[in-house]
Amino acid sequence: MARDFALKLAAGLALAGSLTAPALAQSAQDAKSFPVVGNAPEVCALDQGRLRPGQLINFSGVDGDTLQILQLVDSQSLAARPASATLTFSAVCNFPHRVRIESANNGLWPTDGRQITQAPGFATALPYDASVQWGPITGALRTDAKVRRLVEERFSIDVPTAGDFQLSLKLEAGASNTQVNAPVLAGVYGDTLRIYLEPR
Amino acid sequence: MKQQVILAGLASAALVALAAPAQAATETDSKNFGVQGNVPPLCVGGTVSAGTDTFDLGVLINTTSGLLRTDLSAPSKTLTGSFCSARSTIAVTATPIVAQTFTAAAPAGFSRSVDYTATASGWTPAAASFATASASNPAATQTRDTAFSGPITVGIGSFATTGGNTLRLVADTQYRGTVTITLTAVN
Repeated sequence: MARDFALKLAAGLALAGSLTAPALAQSAQDAKSFPVVGNAPEVCALDQGRLRPGQLINFSGVDGDTLQILQLVDSQSLAARPASATLTFSAVCNFPHRVRIESANNGLWPTDGRQITQAPGFATALPYDASVQWGPITGALRTDAKVRRLVEERFSIDVPTAGDFQLSLKLEAGASNTQVNAPVLAGVYGDTLRIYLEPR
Repeated sequence: MKQQVILAGLASAALVALAAPAQAATETDSKNFGVQGNVPPLCVGGTVSAGTDTFDLGVLINTTSGLLRTDLSAPSKTLTGSFCSARSTIAVTATPIVAQTFTAAAPAGFSRSVDYTATASGWTPAAASFATASASNPAATQTRDTAFSGPITVGIGSFATTGGNTLRLVADTQYRGTVTITLTAVN
């Protein structure tokens, strides 16, 4: 009798143990985590340019994407008159990138496309400089107007950059593709300058 | 001293054994055995119903301006099978959504982190909420006085660029943060 009792008690304890074991494996605290993910793609943006006040000499202003020189030559000497302008563009590149500045004609050339080689003593194209300031870099594209062709300069920027991209154009007094102060052949002169913010 | 107590116990057992034959002589006998157990305080967070447990915001920025999108959103998640067998607290914590590859300090004009607010509702009358930009989050932990079982809705919102919304986010293929919901039984 006593032995039976002892066995039943042992079984009861074992049963109780097996019932409580799963509960003990649980906890008075439980946590769930939720990852939050997203991405930011590489982006470069360059807004419309705006003239910088007080930085406009012999330029009439911006008309769309065109900068018009008021008086290209001196009316007496027919030599090129100085002109300069500074534009700023709100810009951003959110990754290490490159600035490429490109002159389509390597200077100011007749817009009708003529290539005059037989005009001794006259300037047939006008060199100018385009300098840029963007984040940590300062650089310039210097055209020489010797040959009508595309020329460009590239600058690497190692960090994401945001702010004002500054472009300064400068035509020196007497600028010429022949000799300084040479009279400029009659015509309409122009160039297309392109600025690229792009992956390296 | 201990030994004496044990001996006394054994003596008592001997008395019971000696008494047993005497009891067998009666017509009726009974013994009472107490049965007792306990239910420890227990909380289970449950599982996410339908879909994954990840809040995927996709592209974080306006690709024209580089600024944080103003229409960022992600569907809420629902935890089902959640319960606590006693009085409990629900706590929500969250970490900012941070660029994982671009680990250097962000250059001027940029940020590499997005703040937001995470909420857990359905467990307590007032939702638990945690804003990653806040130094203090007193509403992050809420208490429920009774045992409870029910779904918990977890959401995120109120996104803002760390450092100010005029800053742009640096490019990175993976931004990542974490929301954690904790149920705790309390006495």
